Amino acid sequence: MVDRTLSSTAYRAYWLGRYLERAGSTARLVSVNASLLIDLPVRLPLGWSPLVDILALEEEFMALYGELAQSDNSNLDENEKGVSRFLLSDQRNSGSLLNSLGYARENARTLRGTLPRASYEHINDAFLFAKEILQEPLSRTRRNNGLKHIIARLDQINGFLSSTMLHNASWHFFRLGNFLERADMTTRIIDLGTANLVASESDLEPFADIQWRSVLSSLDSMQSYTVSMQNPVNQPDVLEFLLKHDELPRSLLRCFNTIRHCLRSLPKNQEPLDLINQMRRQLQRARVRNLEGERLHRYTDARQKQLLTLHTKITNAYFPQT
Amino acid sequence: MSIDWHLYEATDVYDELIAPGGRARKGGAGLKKALAKLDDAELSERRTAAELAIRSMGITFTVYSGDESSTIDREWPFDIVPRLILKSEWEQISKGLKQRVKALNMFINDVYHEQEILKDEVLPRVYIDKSKDFRIECMGITPPHEAWSHVCGSDLVRDGDGTMYVLEDNLRVPSGVSYMLENREVMKRVFPELFSDYVIHPVDDYPAQLARCLRSLNPNATRSPQLAVLTPGIYNSAYFEHAYLANAMAAELVEGRDLEVGDDDYLYMRTIQGLVRVDVLYRRIDDTFIDPEVFNPDSVLGVPGLMRAWRAGKVALANAPGCGVADDKVIYTYVPDIIRYYLSEEPILPNVPSYRCVEKDHRDYVLDNLDQLVVKPANESGGYGMLVGPKASRRERNQFARQIRANPRNYMAQPMLNLSTAPTLIDTHAEPRHLDLRPFILTGEHQYVTTGGLTRVAMRKGSIVVNSSQGGGSKDTWVVDG
Repeated sequence: MVDRTLSSTAYRAYWLGRYLERAGSTARLVSVNASLLIDLPVRLPLGWSPLVDILALEEEFMALYGELAQSDNSNLDENEKGVSRFLLSDQRNSGSLLNSLGYARENARTLRGTLPRASYEHINDAFLFAKEILQEPLSRTRRNNGLKHIIARLDQINGFLSSTMLHNASWHFFRLGNFLERADMTTRIIDLGTANLVASESDLEPFADIQWRSVLSSLDSMQSYTVSMQNPVNQPDVLEFLLKHDELPRSLLRCFNTIRHCLRSLPKNQEPLDLINQMRRQLQRARVRNLEGERLHRYTDARQKQLLTLHTKITNAYFPQT
Repeated sequence: MSIDWHLYEATDVYDELIAPGGRARKGGAGLKKALAKLDDAELSERRTAAELAIRSMGITFTVYSGDESSTIDREWPFDIVPRLILKSEWEQISKGLKQRVKALNMFINDVYHEQEILKDEVLPRVYIDKSKDFRIECMGITPPHEAWSHVCGSDLVRDGDGTMYVLEDNLRVPSGVSYMLENREVMKRVFPELFSDYVIHPVDDYPAQLARCLRSLNPNATRSPQLAVLTPGIYNSAYFEHAYLANAMAAELVEGRDLEVGDDDYLYMRTIQGLVRVDVLYRRIDDTFIDPEVFNPDSVLGVPGLMRAWRAGKVALANAPGCGVADDKVIYTYVPDIIRYYLSEEPILPNVPSYRCVEKDHRDYVLDNLDQLVVKPANESGGYGMLVGPKASRRERNQFARQIRANPRNYMAQPMLNLSTAPTLIDTHAEPRHLDLRPFILTGEHQYVTTGGLTRVAMRKGSIVVNSSQGGGSKDTWVVDG
């Protein structure tokens, strides 16, 4: 049976998956930070700028919010407003949540022939909802509440697609996009887990665990952690859990496994499949429990670079003209 | 408060629902009563429900405002009061449309072969020679079933005396059928109870009929031909429709860059696995853009070599290239003669009386009576480039007179029709608004006519311009048992 999926359709399904996941991740990331800052003592020089660094958007942020970025966090309130606007609703930031959802919607629109009819309605509704709820000026309460609802809607869309869409090639491309983006974001969220803390300051020690608890609960994974690890929250276990626990839907290993599964269901998969197999073997062998500080950062950074290479290989194999 | 039909004033005009004296026309009493039963709050509620449905179903059309990046997707403007047509009347109209399109297809085929109609001097040769839609590249080609215009959208209007006229035939790439289908869906969501009071003939077999028509054009010996819909892309005003139809027919929705013509002259689409052959292409791109090798060399919308593949009989194109030769407002004036010539029958549906500016006596009349006529260029669509004499300023009329004298072949004129109206919800009361009707006629191995069609309505009071690009809206069209 010849697979008639158009290269351009595959391309759009892939990007729909990426943008939907990116929108959800951005929402989660901002939520993590918000709850983190509630839990941590006010006097700590923590803020919102690490979010921008983690997403590698420093340049864009500087260009748009230069003054804020240079301030010494003395005005935390302004800092929070600026970063959250930049990440959530700013049209000028191509990676903002609203833009990601907008691109997802455009892709869904061009995929009308492929997706179940109601998918566009759901995605369109989610976009319109997010646009409405994220309007400036945005209070903390409305933001946190809004993000919760946006995340719920995106989860529903994923569930809807999973239970109604034909699990054909387009579906595999959608999932490829989904899980590539998710893998990338899991490594970035791990970065966030350590970013705010200055390791040398010993009086911050008691708060390190709070930080990881916050990360876990924002990933809706606190309960899963307790069940799986049977241990109080601590960095080595959390790293093991988020990177290598196959039963956790957002763990890096699980993302790799899903990507591998998708690629194996597609034709002409040699190059990207070789790479993901290699990435997977490396991850399984890696000792991640004891990664700390700069070494941990270098480790996550290297994963992100590998994912970029994987993206290029997928593009070359299936949608070279785009 | 609710709709007070005593305040409904449709005087000096034919109203589709309310007869002179205020009574409902045959078949309309139920609708009139049902509407009067709704109070203001309910009316607003239904209208809001319709707007919401349209918004969330994503029924949009695109409005151009300069460059591509600033195009706007507008929600489809929709009026919740349906327009009724009696089944008995529709059967007659439907017959007339089939007759008309059959003759037009025979005409196009003749133009690209023996040109008997020109030899017999029924139609002056100058109209073909000077037609900008005549394609010399099509000479001698015989498409399957000798059908050229496979999808035709003819615009019908009703004049003050109740006569239904054909205003024009859109034989190239007519659009609007998806809105006809969606309007019905919206009505089912908004007014479910009305559907139990009426026997409303369904419209939703159109995509299946279109797919059947396209399959019947398959030039290759394959049992199940690969269908594809060629769209210019998401910035096209009818993109919604292209996607809708492709989806409903399980055809691939493709853009030019998804396609290529091989060295073997077959048409292929680029898939994740490599090239897959396309047998029938429903193209929603004008002739001049489909093949940069033959026509507009700058076109990035089309496919290099597509004409070659079509001429070699290796792919079917719907509509066939060159069929626009019959979609010309001056050729239109000859359609009654064309019907008589090819079918030896009298036309069932009348043409609007028309004047050809190229003929001296007609032209003199037109120039003397510009303030009472509507003047149309031969080759424009969407209501662009025409003069509505009674509404134009003296300066506009003078300017048009100069254009007509300079290029008479390019113009025809018609008396200003008193377009029929139907009740349309304005705030919370009903007001008459002018409308037309676009049914769609399919021609392949068989002919098919939609049940009713797309009713377009001029939402501005007194306006007769129904194009969505210029402030028009639409209504669901119900063909009902009387």
